[in-house]
Amino acid sequence: MAGPLHDLKAVIGTFSTEYGKTPLRLKLIDLYILYALSTALIQFVYLGLVGSFPFNSFLAGFLSSIGTAVLAVCLRMQVNKDNKEFKDVPPERAFADWVVANIVLHLVVVNYIG
Amino acid sequence: MAALGKPLLLVVLLAVAAVHQVGAFSEETPTDQRILVLLDDFGIKATHSMYFKSLTDRGYDLHFKLADDASLALQKYGAYLYDALIFFAPTFDVLGGSLDVAVILDFIDSGHDVVLAAEGGASDVVRDIATECGVDLEEEENAVVVDHVNHSSLDADHTIVAASDLIQSKAILGPKTIEAPVLFRGLGMSVNPSNELVVKVLTAPPTTFSSSPSAKVAKVPTAHGRNLVLVAALQARNHARVLVSGSLDLFSDKFFLASVEKKTPGAAPTNFEKSGNEQFAVEATKWTLHERGHLRATNVRHHKVDEVAEGAVYRIRDEVEYSLDIQEWDGAKWVPYHADDVQLQFFLMSPYVRKALTSNKKGHFSTTFQIPDVYGVFQFKVDYHRLGYTDLNLAKQIPVRPFKHNEYERFIGAAYPYYSSAFSLLFAFVIFGVVFLYNK
Repeated sequence: MAGPLHDLKAVIGTFSTEYGKTPLRLKLIDLYILYALSTALIQFVYLGLVGSFPFNSFLAGFLSSIGTAVLAVCLRMQVNKDNKEFKDVPPERAFADWVVANIVLHLVVVNYIG
Repeated sequence: MAALGKPLLLVVLLAVAAVHQVGAFSEETPTDQRILVLLDDFGIKATHSMYFKSLTDRGYDLHFKLADDASLALQKYGAYLYDALIFFAPTFDVLGGSLDVAVILDFIDSGHDVVLAAEGGASDVVRDIATECGVDLEEEENAVVVDHVNHSSLDADHTIVAASDLIQSKAILGPKTIEAPVLFRGLGMSVNPSNELVVKVLTAPPTTFSSSPSAKVAKVPTAHGRNLVLVAALQARNHARVLVSGSLDLFSDKFFLASVEKKTPGAAPTNFEKSGNEQFAVEATKWTLHERGHLRATNVRHHKVDEVAEGAVYRIRDEVEYSLDIQEWDGAKWVPYHADDVQLQFFLMSPYVRKALTSNKKGHFSTTFQIPDVYGVFQFKVDYHRLGYTDLNLAKQIPVRPFKHNEYERFIGAAYPYYSSAFSLLFAFVIFGVVFLYNK
C-alpha cells in the first residue's frame, strides 16, 4: 500500500529538516543520550545471552546508563531556550544540577557494581 | 637405711610384677600368652598332644587343669590370670573352683579368646556358653552327626563325617588351601543367619544329618546338609574371638593322622594320606588367638594438601589429604597391611565424598580430595569390615566453614561488560561536561 509507507517517508523527511534547525548544543546532548542508551541496550542483550549471574553488577551498569540518559534529558529540557516551562532557570544552574546529580549517580553505581 | 635395701627391692619387684598384669590380646602387650586348658581327664593331654604341641611351639604357656579342679579361677583380685581359654571338657556339668558359665562369659566380654569343643552328650555348661555366643548345639538327646556317604572308615557306624565345605577366608584358615577333608565326630550346630558376628567355618556336606545313630529316622531332620554347621566362629564387637567346634575329636592326634577319602559326585574319590584336621585346627586356632586378622590403625592424620600441620577448621573447596597406617599382627610383630578396598567417607549426615584409600604397600594409606561446597561439621570416617578381620571404625570430626567475604574473587569475569559500561559512562560524563561548558 502506498499510503502508510508514503506517510512514513514524509514524517522522516519533515523530521530531518526540522532537526537540522536545532542548535549545536542540543545536538551534542542528543548524541550523548544516544550513547548512554546504546550501552544500556548492549548490557541488556548481554544479560539475555549470558544470564543474570552477578545481578548487582548488571543493575549497577544498566541503571548507570539509564540514569545518565535521564539526567541528560533533564539537562536538555532545562537548557533549551524554546522550552517555556523552564524559562526562569538559568542554564548555568541547570548544568550545576546536572553535575551534582551525575556525581551522586556514579558514586552509587561504583559502590553497587561489586 | 641399708637394712631397708633388700625388702624395699623386693617390694619394688613385686609392684612391677603386679603391674605387668596378664591381659587379653591387647595391642600394647600382644605376646607371651597364658592359656588355661580345661580337660575332662588328663588322657586328653596325650590323645591331643599334636594340637597342644603346636601351641607350645609357638610360645604359648599352657596350664592343664581338670574341669572340676577346686582351685580353678580365671581372675584374682580383679586381674585375669590367663589370656585365653581352651575348653576341652564337654561332659562336666559343674565346673570346679570359681568357674561357671557366667564367669566364662565375663571372660569373653572382657576381650579374651576361647576355643570351645563339644561332643555327643555335651553338658549344659558347654551348651549355654555356645548359645550365648550365638551358636545352638544340637539339642536332641543322643543325636550326633551322621553321614552315610561322606564318612570316614575309621568308625563302623558312619558318625565320622569328612567335611570339605570350608569358609573362604585366608584370614581365618590361612593362606594355604586345605585340600584334604576335615574329619568330624560330634554334635551339629545351627547359626542364626541374621547374626552378623558369627561365621560358619566348617559346614557339613549335603549328605549329613543329625540324629541318634541307633534310632530309626522317621522324618527329615530339621538340621541337615548346608544348614548343619560343624565349626563356627564368633568375633565379638570387643574383638574377642570364640571358636566353637561340635567335635573334640577334630583336634585329636588320631584324626590328625588319619587318611581320608574325598568323594566328589560324578568322579572317582581322591585319597588323602593325611586329613585336613591338623592344618584346619592349627590355622583356626591361630586366628582365634589373634595371630592373624587383627588390624590396628595408627597415625591417623589429615591436613590441607600444601600444609603439614593438621588444621582445626577447613574451608569449602579446600584440597585435603587424609592418611593413616594400618598394621596386622602376625603372631610376633606388627606387619604392614595391604588392601585396595579401604574407603574413606567424608560424612555429614550422609557421605558427601567416598574414596578408596591407596596403599603404598608398606601399610600407609592415603588419599586427597576436594571438600564439597557444603559447610558444617564433617567426619572423616573409615569403616572397614572384612570377614575374619577385626573391624576398623574410625571417625575424626572436622568443621568446614564457608568462604570469608574477602575470599571471593575480586572481579567476576561475567560482569566485565557491566564494569566497562559503567566506567565508560563515567568518563563520558566528565568529557561531555567539559565539552558542554566550553562550547558556545
